[in-house]
Amino acid sequence: MSPSDLNSDLDSDLKQQLAARLAHDLGRRGFLQAMATGAAALGVGSLVGEAAAAGEPMRGGILKWAQIVSPDTLDPHFTGSLGAIKIHNNIYNGLLKVVYDGKAVSFVPDLAESWKMVDEKTHLFKIRPSVKFHNGDACDAAAVKWSIERVKDPVTGSPHVWMVKDLAGIDIVDPLTVRIRYDKPFAFFQVAMTGATGRAGTIVSRSAVEKFGKDFGRNPVGTGPFRFVQWKENELIELERNPDYFEKGLPYLDKIQINLIKEPTSAVAAVLSGQVDGMDACPFQFMSQLRANKNLNIYGEVEGNYAFLGMNNKKGPFEDVNLRLAVAFAIDRNVLVKQGYFGDAIPAYSLISPPMNGFYDPNIAKSGRGQFFDLKRAQEYRAKAKEQGEITVNYIATEAFTSNGGSGSRNAQLIIPMLAKIGIKVNLDLMDRAILTKRRNAGEFDLYDEAWQADLDPDETIRPEWLTGMPWNYVGYSNPEFDKLVIKASESVNQAERKKLYYAAEDLMMQKDAPIAVLAHTKVYKIFNKRVEGFKYVPVDLMNMHTVSLKKL
Amino acid sequence: MLMNAALIKLLQTLLVLLIVSVVAFFFLKMAPGDPVMLLLGSEYSPQAYARLMHELGLDQPVTLQYLHWLGRFVQGDWGISYVTRDNIFKQAVLQALPVTLSLATLSLLMALTLGIPAGLLAALFRGRWVDGLVSSLSVLGSAFPSFYLGIILIWVFGVELGWFPTMGFVRPWDDFWDGLYHLALPAITLAVYYTGLIAITTRSSLIEVLNQPFIAAVRARGEPMVRVVGVHAMRNVMMPLVTVIGLQLGGLLRGAVMTEVVFAVPGLGQMITTAVLSREYGVVQAGVMLTALFFVMVNLVVDQTYRFLDPRLRAR
Amino acid sequence: MKSFWKAVSHQRNAMFGLAIVGVFILMAVFAPVLAPYNPTEQNLEFALQGPSAEHWLGTDSFGQDVYSRMLYGARLALGIGFASVALGLLGGLIIGLSAGLLGGRVEWALMRLVDAILAFPEIILAIAFVAVLGMGTDKVVYALAISFVGPFARIVRSDVLQVKARPFIEAARLMGVSPFRIIVRHLLPNVLSSLMVQAGIRISTAILLESGLSFFGIGVVPPTPDWGLIIAEGRGFITMAPWISGFPGVALALLLIGLTLLGDGLRDAFDPRSGGH
Repeated sequence: MSPSDLNSDLDSDLKQQLAARLAHDLGRRGFLQAMATGAAALGVGSLVGEAAAAGEPMRGGILKWAQIVSPDTLDPHFTGSLGAIKIHNNIYNGLLKVVYDGKAVSFVPDLAESWKMVDEKTHLFKIRPSVKFHNGDACDAAAVKWSIERVKDPVTGSPHVWMVKDLAGIDIVDPLTVRIRYDKPFAFFQVAMTGATGRAGTIVSRSAVEKFGKDFGRNPVGTGPFRFVQWKENELIELERNPDYFEKGLPYLDKIQINLIKEPTSAVAAVLSGQVDGMDACPFQFMSQLRANKNLNIYGEVEGNYAFLGMNNKKGPFEDVNLRLAVAFAIDRNVLVKQGYFGDAIPAYSLISPPMNGFYDPNIAKSGRGQFFDLKRAQEYRAKAKEQGEITVNYIATEAFTSNGGSGSRNAQLIIPMLAKIGIKVNLDLMDRAILTKRRNAGEFDLYDEAWQADLDPDETIRPEWLTGMPWNYVGYSNPEFDKLVIKASESVNQAERKKLYYAAEDLMMQKDAPIAVLAHTKVYKIFNKRVEGFKYVPVDLMNMHTVSLKKL
Repeated sequence: MLMNAALIKLLQTLLVLLIVSVVAFFFLKMAPGDPVMLLLGSEYSPQAYARLMHELGLDQPVTLQYLHWLGRFVQGDWGISYVTRDNIFKQAVLQALPVTLSLATLSLLMALTLGIPAGLLAALFRGRWVDGLVSSLSVLGSAFPSFYLGIILIWVFGVELGWFPTMGFVRPWDDFWDGLYHLALPAITLAVYYTGLIAITTRSSLIEVLNQPFIAAVRARGEPMVRVVGVHAMRNVMMPLVTVIGLQLGGLLRGAVMTEVVFAVPGLGQMITTAVLSREYGVVQAGVMLTALFFVMVNLVVDQTYRFLDPRLRAR
Repeated sequence: MKSFWKAVSHQRNAMFGLAIVGVFILMAVFAPVLAPYNPTEQNLEFALQGPSAEHWLGTDSFGQDVYSRMLYGARLALGIGFASVALGLLGGLIIGLSAGLLGGRVEWALMRLVDAILAFPEIILAIAFVAVLGMGTDKVVYALAISFVGPFARIVRSDVLQVKARPFIEAARLMGVSPFRIIVRHLLPNVLSSLMVQAGIRISTAILLESGLSFFGIGVVPPTPDWGLIIAEGRGFITMAPWISGFPGVALALLLIGLTLLGDGLRDAFDPRSGGH
């Protein structure tokens, strides 16, 4: 079937709408300019986008990078960790991939050759011919269908099943064409189909999964530019070049070695001493030093994320909405940005973050929307609270390094004196990650903090986290009106309509209910030394090595 | 008679190991949190949780879990790691243990090479500045937290001067010199403590030996000082030295834990601490059993040497 | 006591050690008076500043005064050190006495238990303990105390056995002197003197271990002014503010040196086997 047989008008119109949400707009450019000025003021070495390669890229070589957060598994249908995603995006492909031109993010076909939206619920993908998995199996329509259906299959038990919940079926139109049908329009669809944070749309090899079963996460087989070689526990992960990769001429590197270094300062030392060629997330306090270093290139911008302080809505003193609102307005975000993130963040007024073009309001600071520091207003709410007099609460935290470069208890230690100002005495309860997970999941806390990261669309940044009864909704937020707005927004593909719905939902959540106090949107950095060329930065916390080559210095 | 004593000692050792395994198992079980929650991350359903708990056998009564583990362990089946899905025996004994042993061995060799001559000099030039220097440096060495020293070494020698790699591990049996090069900084960190100890022990026992009458007799015979010290004296210093080294060998393994984390060396220490924090019961058991076994064996050897040394303890 | 003092004062090293430890004890006791600032008072505008007239040893990443935190840290270090050793001593005394005096199967069982505790790498034991009990200064003390019970119990027991075997004890028993009197008048003094020596040596281990736990992030809770914790926090700023880890690290090393010298001095003075007095 040739493309012209399909209803191309409808298709391009719909895609236009979908794409418009992620297209460039004035606000974002202005924001970027501010970032660039700021970066220039800090010193040399700050780049957005790709490093210019002089002449033909050199072939071969090993690139080593240091990573502080170890991956949990390299099975994309099970991983929840960005530490794993950035690695597995070199091993697998999705039907789509995310590209960034320095101004806007867009979704383009990757494993697929073309993508047509037949109508709001139906998508047609033509798959590239002659693509092979690393074990030699053909990656055709049947392979794609099996992989996506694996996510939906309850026997698999994948936590990403929500992305394909409304999947009605996948038809094999011909050996290289699949038609994916949903019951309802799904605005999140294209994100779900990317090979990176999408995960549901990351295509895995059927025979490998059947062969390795539960161990597939330690023996990944995909179609990507690099093949898996080995994973030495607590030590390193090694990938090697896939000579049969479908993008002709790529990759350039022979091997990739990911050194798993748990101690953040040791990882930074490894980069500074040249022992590794780069690192992903890095403790924020080192950023100024790294930026000043003439041998390093820094890539990074504010990405689709937000950090927040969660308050237990179901139990304890924070059941009282006035107390929560008091907290929300008592926190000085600028202090957090300066002292907690060392300037590498911006205050967050609501959940939607800058990369979400078309939704993010660059003038939100002046709009009066959302949450912000206003001590007087906080005290007014505090005076209305049920419990007057000093309240004592606990704040659970762990010292484990977080993947966005933050440090475990730092935010807590900055927030605690701020809450003291409104008569709330906070006891910091430090514990190891296992205990924190247990208490957080069981709702045995008053306060805790968290960050949701690498989101590209308001749907993934709001729905799975805050809808009533969702597993990540640890604070127990429940507002049926809010739920209705968010669900409606997820089922529409009209950007203007969605924006209105999300703003209404945010207003409810941020200024009426305040189940959380939103804190900041952080920058996420990738650091490479000058030997590394061709790195294309994508603001979804990715370490894509597809186009990377090493320069002879 | 001797065979019986040896048999009794063996049974005692086994009993101690058994107690260690029980204590480790039940104690870690008492800690809140479980590996399933950590494995499933932040996206899971109660059904997935229940299912994985059942698959891993974690929904059974704790005592039963222990007995299952024990039964398999003694048969050589150490289980599968929840996280890596790899054979624990392979991970612990074939991968992690040799790493820690090579680190410990190198540290010990460094400590001996530096410590014995230092102690010797201090004893021979007793009371003079050499003695004072050695003694004070030895005390200084024992006072530094190994993690702090490690970080300083990384930044000064690894980053600023660039003399040594700051992290990572190359197996010396794969590539000897590169392996040593990577082990250098962590081994130095670990060795600092023991160099001092060995120096001081050498010094004090050498002083004691040199004061013995038989030394005076040998010197009166006209033997050169080098022979007096090198042959006659050192022979008698060896024994207490070996005892001290043996006693500290257990401690060497423990010091390795912190050093391994700072230098990203994938040894037993790192394996166990990571496993405790992720509630990997099987891995913790394996690691604890290995270190306990090692410690107990060293103790046995030291006990025997001690017995050999001190006739008073022999008559029993 | 007088003979104790006489024995120790003859050791030059021990006196030197005593002087150092004495300084730290004074620091610890008079910290509230000596410290110019509240050790947990944040002063974010002045964070990460080097030594100056206002802040003699500089400020840390929250603007807290390093000098004040160091003074209070001495309190915590010595406090945790003494408390955990004392607790371990108590436990060791109880177990060792029971084992040595009661003998037979009780002794055998207790000593096997002790062997088992000794076989644990201390830091693993402490980590597991903190995982079960939770974090905080008191929990750290308990965790460390457990790891000391073993060595102390062993020493007590062997001393008890040695004393028990002495002829005059046998004679006293035959004469009908009450066992209680024997224990109190003859046994305990001997046991205690060697225990004191061991205790002195262990305090530095306790302080070292405790800073190790803070390093892992499972020791005391921030913003408690604890040297181990300050060093741990400071390591993330080692290139831009080396004084944060630097000064407490030096203080820690000095205190440990003092304790080691003192401990060695005590041992040389009292332990007949080490060829001292």
